Amino acid sequence: MVREIVLKDIWFSYIKKKYVLRGVNIKLRRGLTLVVGPNASGKTTLLKVASCIYMPDQGRVLVDGVSYWDMPDEEKERVRRNIVYVHESPILIRGSVLDNIMAGLLLRGIDRRVAEKKALVLLERWHMRHLMMKRRSELSRGEQQLVCIIRALLLSPDFMFLDEPLAHLDLRNRRLIVELIRDIKRDRAVVVASNNPHPLLDDADHAILIQNGVVVGRNTHEVKDLLVEAW
Amino acid sequence: MKRLSIALATAMIIVSLVLSYLSLSLTPKAKVVIRVSTTTSLYVTGLLDHLAEELKKRYPEVEVVFISVGSGAALELAAKGDVDVVMVHAPSLEKKYIERGVIVNGAIFAYNYFVLVGPSEDPARVKGLEDIVEAFKRIYQAGELGHSCFVSRGDMSGTHVRELMIWNMTGLNPKGRLWYVESGTGMSKTLMLADNLKAYTLSDIGTFLKLKKEGVLKNLVMLVSRGSLLINVYSIHLVNPSRYEVNKEYARRWMEFILSDDGQELIASYGKDKYGVALFNPAKGRSEELKKMWNLLSEGG
Amino acid sequence: MLITMEELPGIIMRSIMISGTATLLSTAWSLPLTIKLSLSKHPLKESLMGILNSLVGFPTVLVGLLLYLVFSSSGPLGMLRLIYTPQAIIIGEALLITPLMMSLLYEVVCRSVSVYWELAISLGASKRRATWFVMEQTLPELMIVLLMSFSRAIGELGVALLVGGNIKGFTRVITTSIALAIEAGEFDLAVFLGMVLLTMMILLATTVRLLRAWLEK
Repeated sequence: MVREIVLKDIWFSYIKKKYVLRGVNIKLRRGLTLVVGPNASGKTTLLKVASCIYMPDQGRVLVDGVSYWDMPDEEKERVRRNIVYVHESPILIRGSVLDNIMAGLLLRGIDRRVAEKKALVLLERWHMRHLMMKRRSELSRGEQQLVCIIRALLLSPDFMFLDEPLAHLDLRNRRLIVELIRDIKRDRAVVVASNNPHPLLDDADHAILIQNGVVVGRNTHEVKDLLVEAW
Repeated sequence: MKRLSIALATAMIIVSLVLSYLSLSLTPKAKVVIRVSTTTSLYVTGLLDHLAEELKKRYPEVEVVFISVGSGAALELAAKGDVDVVMVHAPSLEKKYIERGVIVNGAIFAYNYFVLVGPSEDPARVKGLEDIVEAFKRIYQAGELGHSCFVSRGDMSGTHVRELMIWNMTGLNPKGRLWYVESGTGMSKTLMLADNLKAYTLSDIGTFLKLKKEGVLKNLVMLVSRGSLLINVYSIHLVNPSRYEVNKEYARRWMEFILSDDGQELIASYGKDKYGVALFNPAKGRSEELKKMWNLLSEGG
Repeated sequence: MLITMEELPGIIMRSIMISGTATLLSTAWSLPLTIKLSLSKHPLKESLMGILNSLVGFPTVLVGLLLYLVFSSSGPLGMLRLIYTPQAIIIGEALLITPLMMSLLYEVVCRSVSVYWELAISLGASKRRATWFVMEQTLPELMIVLLMSFSRAIGELGVALLVGGNIKGFTRVITTSIALAIEAGEFDLAVFLGMVLLTMMILLATTVRLLRAWLEK
């Protein structure tokens, strides 16, 4: 059970010294958090550091108060089972949509038949059963994106990080995702990175504005007002 | 991820070692291996493999292997200590390595003739000449007049060294002239080039006959094949055992075999069935003259 | 004929064993090195990759010569007695194809390996499971890399000739046989050997492609 993720004084670079995140301090908890900023502001990197995929050059990632990168491997695994990050560009594996949806469960060692049952339930719930046997090459980008998000959902994590989930989706799918986010944010933390968060503004419980790797706004109301003005 | 890649790497190294050991087993098992460096033109006649097979009948525990390169390279391999025996036909180069103490106990085991080949039209009019120096002079003149070209091996091989010696004796220097082409390659490629250019070239008789028989050379014919200056003397040398780690005992046996009556007989008859004429003449019985020839040639280069 | 038909199966087997082993050997160090390089944040990373890319086309005769000087009895590694053995060719070819292998692997690692690794981790997989997952997903690409590296190894001449010596029954491989056949004026044989090599490579490439398609299931 992960309740809170805190980024303390985070500095991150891909190539030594060329920092993409500079001294980032944020707190992430239950509800919908919007991470907003222009392109190349560090949103994706921020999410990847917060979801414990990337290790920062400096600073600490505190999961319920304990530094993640100082934990032993089994602890780290346990934490990761409660956090899922969904990439901006959909990453699908070889096989059918069903195989993809189940992938997360299978990677955690869940029995195949159990995983299949669970997957089918979700596919029904989100009206995607007709896509079940299709291969990744037969899906549109929007459909691929949907599959990735459902795959993450199936793992029922406490923290879901979604990187630009609305990009490349048609109207119908966008509405579906917004509905999905509204639904799931109630009992977990959902962190959404976007440079166009418009449909989700009203639902956002927290908002963070990032620019050039620096967090420039963390007061939710201020940030929201700023964004509303921009549109 | 790192641990797995190390495990994988170790697995692959183990598999590689096993496979490479297995590939060793694809090779003949012999107690002794004698390495002979030789020239390509000598090797491609097939004489050496033939002689090695015969040796194996007498000494089955010995494997004689050949590394065929140019004469210069063959002698250099000896200087590096990578071979036990050298068999080449470049007296002037051999002399240098003898003086350096790289090779010892040299003996001539066979001889044949270099031949001057060229286009059947023969613009330089050298056909049938007895004097090769005169022939070269005429080729030089024909070249200057733009009537024909000359292709040189240009690779410090036995053939090349002889060619240079003859040019030396004409007092003319063809280097840099437009009609003088240096191929920098082996005998067959040089002959092919000469064939294409309808040019003159100096060749060993073995390679020329072989290519002619295969139908590779359409335009070239033998023009001059006589004269002591065209004698091609093949020598066998042992790599100095007091300087290099070599198989002294068996290297000597190989040499003894080549110079023995049996060996010389094999050399004398080689090629008769394929080409109608023997490719080599045994040294036996003419060693004095050949030695004199060798001395002369070793100065002339 | 200088090279007889009886010699042929031996020559082919030898070529496959030597170049195959060389490919495996090269993978043994190229894969960990490439992974290490791709994870590194060193500022000179890209320049190093650039140098590796340019070394791919390095002339094989030069590699052969340098290796000969090293393995020669009078060279620094002469005491290993590797000169004119198949093992020397294996090491030589392994070194020769390393720039190619690392360049190709780098692309695969950057594009696929890191992507699937991140996916697995982001879905909560343990390190062990994540590694298997990555191997599973990138296997087809890795096979293509191995295939291309093997082609380069089996088709090269310089290294095999200079450190192997083209010794009959010992270090004679397909490419050195072709060179010898040309030297001996036996062009038909040379072309025939070339066709054998080509056929082998086509069969292998087709098998890999089919395997890949089958894996896509």
